[in-house]
Amino acid sequence: MPRIACLYLPLFPLAARLRSEPELIREALAVVEGNGNAARVVAATRLARAAGLRPGLTLPQARALCPKLVARPRDADCERAAQEALLEVAEAFSPRVEDAGEGIAYLDADGIERHYPGPSPELEMGRALMNAAEAASLPARAGIASSKLAARVAAGLPDPPVIVPAGEEAAFLSPLPLQRLAPEVDVAETLERWGVRSVGDFARLPPSRIASRLGRLGRELHSTARGVDPRPLIPREPPPAFHEGMSLEWPLVALEPFLFVGRAALDRLCQRLESRGFACQRLELEMRLEPDGFQSRSVVLPAPTRDVKTLLTLIRLELEARPPGAPVAGFTFVAHPDRPREAQLTLYGPAALSPDKLASTLARLFALLGPDRVGSPRPVDGHRPERFALVDFSPPPPPEARREPRAGRGLLAVRVLRPPVEIEVLTNGAPEEPEAAPVEVRAAPHTEEAKRPRVEGPVKVASGPWGLEEDWWADDPAGRDYWDVEIAGRGLYRIYRERATGAWYADGIYD
Amino acid sequence: MAEPLTQTILEKPMHAPAALSRLRSALPESLRAHLRSARELDRDLRESAGEGAFPTAVPVLDRLLDGGLPRGQLVELVGARASGRFSILLAALAAATGTGEAAALVDLGDGLDPAAAAALGIDLERLLWVRPARLKEALAATEMLLASGFPLVALDLGLPPLRGGRGVESSWLRLARTARAHDAALLVGSPYRVSGTAAAAVLKANRGRAAWRGGGVSPCLLDGFSARVELEKCRGRLPGQSEEIRLLVEDLPRPALPPRQPARPAAVPERRERQEQVVRPFLRAASA
Repeated sequence: MPRIACLYLPLFPLAARLRSEPELIREALAVVEGNGNAARVVAATRLARAAGLRPGLTLPQARALCPKLVARPRDADCERAAQEALLEVAEAFSPRVEDAGEGIAYLDADGIERHYPGPSPELEMGRALMNAAEAASLPARAGIASSKLAARVAAGLPDPPVIVPAGEEAAFLSPLPLQRLAPEVDVAETLERWGVRSVGDFARLPPSRIASRLGRLGRELHSTARGVDPRPLIPREPPPAFHEGMSLEWPLVALEPFLFVGRAALDRLCQRLESRGFACQRLELEMRLEPDGFQSRSVVLPAPTRDVKTLLTLIRLELEARPPGAPVAGFTFVAHPDRPREAQLTLYGPAALSPDKLASTLARLFALLGPDRVGSPRPVDGHRPERFALVDFSPPPPPEARREPRAGRGLLAVRVLRPPVEIEVLTNGAPEEPEAAPVEVRAAPHTEEAKRPRVEGPVKVASGPWGLEEDWWADDPAGRDYWDVEIAGRGLYRIYRERATGAWYADGIYD
Repeated sequence: MAEPLTQTILEKPMHAPAALSRLRSALPESLRAHLRSARELDRDLRESAGEGAFPTAVPVLDRLLDGGLPRGQLVELVGARASGRFSILLAALAAATGTGEAAALVDLGDGLDPAAAAALGIDLERLLWVRPARLKEALAATEMLLASGFPLVALDLGLPPLRGGRGVESSWLRLARTARAHDAALLVGSPYRVSGTAAAAVLKANRGRAAWRGGGVSPCLLDGFSARVELEKCRGRLPGQSEEIRLLVEDLPRPALPPRQPARPAAVPERRERQEQVVRPFLRAASA
């Protein structure tokens, strides 16, 4: 007989709202549904209930009972995030989890109790489920039984977790009031007239008579009352992305308050990613604008990360660069998950960089400088020294043992001037002659204004020319005559003459 | 009656090494080894922690810095144009990446040629190249890199005029503190002194002297250059030491540098013949 555990979040709209705004937990808070004075209370905190608030009261009635009432509308974004978080808690225990909506999750608990040694393993498992939900800011209750219905009813009882032994579902349900089975209104009224109060009373009625009097709904309810629940567990497909968001009480027009609220949402999002062993590879921000509008932003990360500070910085920079242009009434962060980079520690080799730290540093560098200014350099095909390519920095794992540094080769490096500095050159021949050697270099007139290094002076020694021809078939061919020149008191330069234009440039310093 | 030795030392001010020597001579043989001055103690501690130093594989630099770039310290390498500063910086990166460590180059001057860097021995896969546009960005990026665990970060400020000035001293102190906190070596290459009191060691590379091969009727070819590197400041050591560094254009065994050539009119070599003889380093690296 299969064992099914149920995680049940009582007063789900309220629990979802408190998860997003935990500072309201000590307030008299009511979650209402509807608009204006017609809004009705759906759920309320204990403080508000103590003042007399009940579901179904209108907002003015509720305020009359409790003048300090804090009212919040039902928020689909909050509830979706809370439901996803509840399912993720369940998925941490079992791969087969059913999403029953509205704060209910079923999971296949068959065999999981073996992980909890002790006199009552299922009870321990139930406690572990509740503790895990509590860690995710969800005050869920747990019940374990052999059918979904019995597990759901058990989860709704006080003093959780409640365990229903296998095969004893009917006996478990029998003393409970009939309302626990949540019958349809007309069926419930009929049974009330018959004087049927408890589940057991109903279960003892003959099935054939029930079917003829109450129809299909009555027959199904009767089976349920006898502990027969034929509905199988229907596992859900894990979603491709993680959502976290909320509707704001009033629209936000400034960035800082938005980031303050957004930080809490990102905190929760990263906790959920961490609980599943994921990191964020791409973060999307969907904003609902006032009075009517929708905008989204996307931030691609150089490496998967779950560092809240980094994600928040990237969102800040994105919004500073492209403000939404209207007050933000609600938002949702969508994290596209990926496996975080992993590093194998080594005992004898050099320490590897922490993948998490590296990912967040790269993301912050991207935000600071732009993606075209950070990366691992690579040469590209061709001879033009100013050209290069940047690829994602993903260093290979360090060697198992530290290598001794090789003896230095003592080579002279060229510092590339990027872009090349325009110069004027006097040669010892006709300017159009490629082999006419430079004898004096002068700075171009606009060098000062462009804040480029000044390259000027008489040439002591010149060595060249070395021809460079590249991409003669392309739109931007390169034909250059290179010279190494030593300028008195100024150092060694690499200069060239463009064959097409005859212009001279300095593109490197031997340094 | 002879006065007690300790009393003599306390009452009569004398040069510390002399006092130490006198005190040491007065102690029994077994205790002498345990008596050390603060400077000796500091040196011993640094040596015992000394797996720390990053050998730069530039023998001159390693000698001047007692084994290499010290971890947890800021070392500033000052050098004008054509002083060998950039070559030394890249050699340090080549040595670090060659041992399997990751390293970062914050290149304010945007002067790295990846093909030439690979030819110099840098393992490009282990090198993170950051190209800030201003000094403020460069400092912020360097701090992030140090804090993220890179064991060696090289910051090259490029050529004057520096974009963003020298930076304030507090930012350099902050970098030095970050390097110390994360036990990372920070090498700053700058055209003039920028880091103030934050640097644990300051080296100055003077402008190099070029060496040419050939001349006269034969083609002239750049052979390399030599520069003098001087220790301007080093905590716990006396400054003033200097050594000559010799950098070659190609990695080939060569004779000693010829004497400095007098200035002469530029030589005009025969082009076809030169192309057969010479392969420029960056061309070779790019085509390899």
